[in-house]
Amino acid sequence: MLYDVQIDRLPCFALFDLKGPATDLAAWADVLPAFAKPANTLTRQNGVDLCFTGPDRWILRADIAREDALIAALRPEKAPPEISITRVSDTLTFFRITGPDAAQVMSIGCPLDLHDSAFGPDAVSYSEFFGLKALVMRCEGGFDCAVEQSFGDMVADYLSRATA
Amino acid sequence: MMNIPCPFCGSRNEAEFAFGGPVKPDRPDPNTVSEGEWVAYLTQVPNPLGPVQERWWHVKGCGMWLTIWRDTRTHDIVEGPADAE
Repeated sequence: MLYDVQIDRLPCFALFDLKGPATDLAAWADVLPAFAKPANTLTRQNGVDLCFTGPDRWILRADIAREDALIAALRPEKAPPEISITRVSDTLTFFRITGPDAAQVMSIGCPLDLHDSAFGPDAVSYSEFFGLKALVMRCEGGFDCAVEQSFGDMVADYLSRATA
Repeated sequence: MMNIPCPFCGSRNEAEFAFGGPVKPDRPDPNTVSEGEWVAYLTQVPNPLGPVQERWWHVKGCGMWLTIWRDTRTHDIVEGPADAE
């Protein structure tokens, strides 16, 4: 079956794994967007996405060009013991699946309910993608899906076969 | 396939979880129980025909551990985590 989708493997993002209470993280780094209250949602500010992915667990995503500036602002090595900030930019590979059939292609590998009513424009969640742990979020006209970097080629192959 | 209620994420597909085994009784003091009771604690796991209390790890989701009651005959989640949706 042919799907009307566009699949792109995105360049590396600046990614940070943040752990700890939101109040402590917000007090430590004022460059962070407002912390989302509902679980599995994200907030955006000045090109920085802050994804609420678990209890006291956040993923910060920005353009790779801003990585050094974010490191300088977040000061991971000096973070107090209540919080943890770890640069994970090179651990995830993002795929962007866009087009009218994007949700159909996503549903091949992901068990999440990706209908608009259940997975809104600010939704983000860890889930499964072709058996791998994956970070799934919406983007303009489709979905962004990130898997561990070492599985990137394999997932690219799965996607090309699924949509061939 | 089961849908398991996660306190953080809501109802999610079983594929996102790892089975953590049945909940065992509290560890007894080996000095105050008989040898038979101690061996039973070490070697016997709950395996009823009916509801069993189990631990599950949302390993491909938010990372939480949760406890549910699952009916081994029907796979119905008889009772989810107290704070799950």
